[in-house]
Amino acid sequence: MAADLIAVTGLGLVSPAGIGAPANWERVCAGEPTAERDPLLAGNPVDISCRVPDFHPAELLGARRARRFDRFTQLALVAAREAVVDARLDPGAWDGARVAVVFGCTQGGVATLEEQHRVLVDEAPTRVSPHLLPMELSNMVAGALSIELGAGGPSMAVATACASGTSAIGVARDLLALGRCDIAITGGSEAMITPLVMAGFAQMGALSSRTDDPKGASRPFDVDRDGFVAGEGAGVLVLERSSDARARRARTRALVAGFGASADAHHVTAPDPDGRGCERAIRAALADAGAAPDEVDHVNAHGTSTPLNDVTEARVLRRVFGERPLVTSTKGVTGHCLGAAGAVEAVLTVLAIEHGLVPPTANLVQLDPKIEVDVAVEPVPRRIDLALSNSFGFGGQNAVLAVRAA
Amino acid sequence: MFEQLKEIMATKFQLAPADIQPESTLKDLELDSLDVVELSLVLEKEFDIKITDDELAEAQQVGRIVELIQSRSATV
Repeated sequence: MAADLIAVTGLGLVSPAGIGAPANWERVCAGEPTAERDPLLAGNPVDISCRVPDFHPAELLGARRARRFDRFTQLALVAAREAVVDARLDPGAWDGARVAVVFGCTQGGVATLEEQHRVLVDEAPTRVSPHLLPMELSNMVAGALSIELGAGGPSMAVATACASGTSAIGVARDLLALGRCDIAITGGSEAMITPLVMAGFAQMGALSSRTDDPKGASRPFDVDRDGFVAGEGAGVLVLERSSDARARRARTRALVAGFGASADAHHVTAPDPDGRGCERAIRAALADAGAAPDEVDHVNAHGTSTPLNDVTEARVLRRVFGERPLVTSTKGVTGHCLGAAGAVEAVLTVLAIEHGLVPPTANLVQLDPKIEVDVAVEPVPRRIDLALSNSFGFGGQNAVLAVRAA
Repeated sequence: MFEQLKEIMATKFQLAPADIQPESTLKDLELDSLDVVELSLVLEKEFDIKITDDELAEAQQVGRIVELIQSRSATV
């Protein structure tokens, strides 16, 4: 059981669906896919991706500041600023020693790493930038945010591949519940759409090869799905204990009611075909929230659009919940934001609860007959008291968040 | 030479050119130790001269860095 209720008091979101939570919500509800041909991937067998549109770091952060950070940190800085403002918190006035930063991330500044590797090979080791390490280390997103916000509490990155964002929120929730901090700035960020990483994913057969139809490539749960489309972005939640949020008369947008984590202990990338690991994480999140399966109204699924993930996840959902919760995968619009995905989707889950609206799964034309759950194909108005957000990472690492209406 | 250095620094560190004066120090320009290493690399690349980050930090003022560049260039 959760020791104390944890309130979500601020949201920030930068994803392929836009900059800012309201813009994202609009695009996701419109079910409009964001995948496009990606000129930076020219020459790769799969050259489509979902990038954050019109993201100009120098304008958003100032040119001097922007140049010191890799894109994955730039995205997080912009999303965190939105979340802190949304929470009506003033980093100039808070007790920074009690503010934690916990961020999920898979690769860190891999674009910077690749660029500097070229310098090493083409020029000389002595020409490599002294900013390489501070820019590319994956924990730097949390480090940079701590500096930016004057947050001197626990600060760390959490890595569980594509579950990282969700895992980070779970860790932040636990730090608050244990009294290790009073405010947690948490979420995930990722910017790993580089030729090298994308070549690796393509070689695994994980990516959709529908390069002649980018908009139709990410199609979770559809019978014709053939892999995921890589995305990027950052999602941020400001969490506080409910009692603290009430005391400062903050707006509680939702409650983090439970968190569950598990490992498949099966294979480095393939999900356990029976989904026992995923099921353990879901049941752990429910137990943590003190909720029964039939209380869950909505699931923002991991739903990557790979043949294996979607059928395995759906099988688990059917086994645990029957047909009751309305399932969606917002990855049809955003693509798979990898280490940021769980945080992006946690923000969208809070928005779904607030709006009483389940967003659609874009590109779901014909449900795979092996998938026996109720999947939203258009925005569906529904009162949501309890929702889950699922994330499963390579390594068989699973994380599930239970979010309750405030 | 000063104008050349000013342009390099403004571009590399995204500084306002007007802020870069012969009497400006690296500290005034808010360049940290890593930036100074970077400056040393840029000077090597642009002028083909070696001035270490320690030497740059010691020189501090942009005007004195110009003198360093000129003296190094002259000896090559």
